[in-house]
Amino acid sequence: MTVTTEPPAAAPPLAPPPRRSAGERARAALPIVARWAAALLGAVVVFSALIVFKGANPLEVFPDMWLSTFGRPRSVSEIVIAMAPLILAALAVVVPARAGMSNVGGEGQVIVGAIAACGVALATDGTLPGPLVLALMMVAGVAAGAAWAGVAGVLRLGFQVNEAVSTLLLNFVALDLLLFLIYQPWRESAAGQPTTPELADAAKLPLLTGSTVHIGIVLAVLATIAVFLVLRFTRWGFRLSVVGGNAEAARRAGMPVPALLLSALLVGGALAGLAGVVEYAGVEYKLRPGFGAQIGYVGFLASWLARHRPVPVLVAAFVFAGLAVAGGSLQLDAQLPAATVNILTALILMAVLGFTQRKARRA
Amino acid sequence: MSIIIDVLTGGVRGGTSILYAALGETVSERAGVINLGTEGGMLGGALCAYIVCAETGNPWLGVLAGGVAGFILALIHGLLVVWRGANQFAVGLTILFFALGLTSLFGASYVGRSIIPFTPVKIPLLGDIPVIGPILFNQDPIVYGSYLVVPLVWFILFRTRMGLLIRTAGERSEALTVHGISPRKVRILAVAAGGFLGGVGGAHLSIAYTNTWFENMVAGRGFIAVALVIFASWSPLRVLAGAYLFGAALALGPALQARGFAINQFALHVVPFVLTLVVLAVLGRRTISAAPAELKRVFENGPPDP
Repeated sequence: MTVTTEPPAAAPPLAPPPRRSAGERARAALPIVARWAAALLGAVVVFSALIVFKGANPLEVFPDMWLSTFGRPRSVSEIVIAMAPLILAALAVVVPARAGMSNVGGEGQVIVGAIAACGVALATDGTLPGPLVLALMMVAGVAAGAAWAGVAGVLRLGFQVNEAVSTLLLNFVALDLLLFLIYQPWRESAAGQPTTPELADAAKLPLLTGSTVHIGIVLAVLATIAVFLVLRFTRWGFRLSVVGGNAEAARRAGMPVPALLLSALLVGGALAGLAGVVEYAGVEYKLRPGFGAQIGYVGFLASWLARHRPVPVLVAAFVFAGLAVAGGSLQLDAQLPAATVNILTALILMAVLGFTQRKARRA
Repeated sequence: MSIIIDVLTGGVRGGTSILYAALGETVSERAGVINLGTEGGMLGGALCAYIVCAETGNPWLGVLAGGVAGFILALIHGLLVVWRGANQFAVGLTILFFALGLTSLFGASYVGRSIIPFTPVKIPLLGDIPVIGPILFNQDPIVYGSYLVVPLVWFILFRTRMGLLIRTAGERSEALTVHGISPRKVRILAVAAGGFLGGVGGAHLSIAYTNTWFENMVAGRGFIAVALVIFASWSPLRVLAGAYLFGAALALGPALQARGFAINQFALHVVPFVLTLVVLAVLGRRTISAAPAELKRVFENGPPDP
């Protein structure tokens, strides 16, 4: 269960990772499966105990949650719609993590991505054809997300400010920027709710034929495949994992460590910016207070659940999107607040982070 | 003049919750653990304090309950990070989600409940000093408590054996091992004790400052506290100054609006965050060199390989 399969050694020629046979891998995986099962069961048990305390019957709540989440086509579409930005936000953590950095700023990068997209929509204001506007919004969102993460990158490389701290602070700057814009300059009407005008229909993300699901999920899956291929098969991807394994070794091997760190953050920010565009042009259509709330943080946790590997991110995003939709059914069926499901999410994460691997060397 | 007094009074009042949380975070980070879960600890503290205050009518018990809630949440963080070796940032955010869920589950029936909150108590004589009196000595009891807790935390950290153990756990944990003391135990207890202070900070929000309970009422103050500790380079006295600065920046918007200045409050709200980033950039190297050694490891490695 390591993030990198390449050895972090720097001396060329680099030895290929040792290959294991399928049987060996299956045997090695068995205790891991047992740990996961025990961890997840523990999370469910603790959650049950808590909701019993509030007078709900877990034996009814869980089947209800399951049925209303997976039994109705509408819920399944909701999950797929919610997955798209989560996948992108999680990938925004995966890429910097490969180089050993923590991007806690998904939240802010998602918001500035959406702000840039909205800015394009407002600036063009129906003067351009819809698909062109959509394309411009994507470019702007990606650039804005990358720039926002780039600030953290510059702070880290130029001023030795840790990126986890700076990206976290930039989240609040982005949030204030959003609120500033929607309470004044971009507000649709002074009397109504503080939102921007709705995006023109032609510029919205198109739906997959015969469904209510927009094409964001396709973008997200394509991005996942791209990130997987790039990290696995390109020189850049390999170098990132060397830097992540041992930055000093990478430097001595003549790798441009600052450029690698910066580029990893920029790519991460770009992915989060795209998540913001997808949420804006595919789901919300207008900016409002609370826009995109927690996509960044949930994405961060999804990346951790996936141990910073791109393909398992799809599964992790599915789990979190499913839990979010299940939260809605919790409110309808069991009269518990929708946010209650955060408890289950957190318990699963605690179990996975703390108990699915052998004890780390030292905290 | 009155606007300055208003802003500074608001700064002390609004900064107190951040001050408590940041003091707790200082203890935790001195022992080598970053607790992003402070945000969650404050949330848990705010709700528990509110519930206990509403049910017993005694705000002092509320403060205690808030501290205990913060203590428990931080203990979970400490156990997962120190004992299980999980990543600090990931666990911290997990604790936030845990607290978000728990507080919305158990807080729903308290939305709109009224309580008997703490009210400002003017201190005789001191409260009559011009300017300083209204700013510092016409506040609620939790604010007065913070005047004692700041020097107390400083004293414990730098002048007692316990503080030496905490700082050693953050600087050279091998030294503790050599003396037969478990650095893990010291760290876990330091994180949990810091969490207690964070919980008290949350209690100040719900039963002395806003006097209501609503979902996610902490609204980023816990994250501010984490950043503030770095900004203050792990010194309790600088944390005090930083917390009031944040508080004052938050109080400036309403104070200007009350005087008829049409100003977008979010433009002011952003100031402390930008200021922190600028200060971190300016102090850059100096801040990092002041960091406890164990913390530097967390910073430099980013997420360790699982």
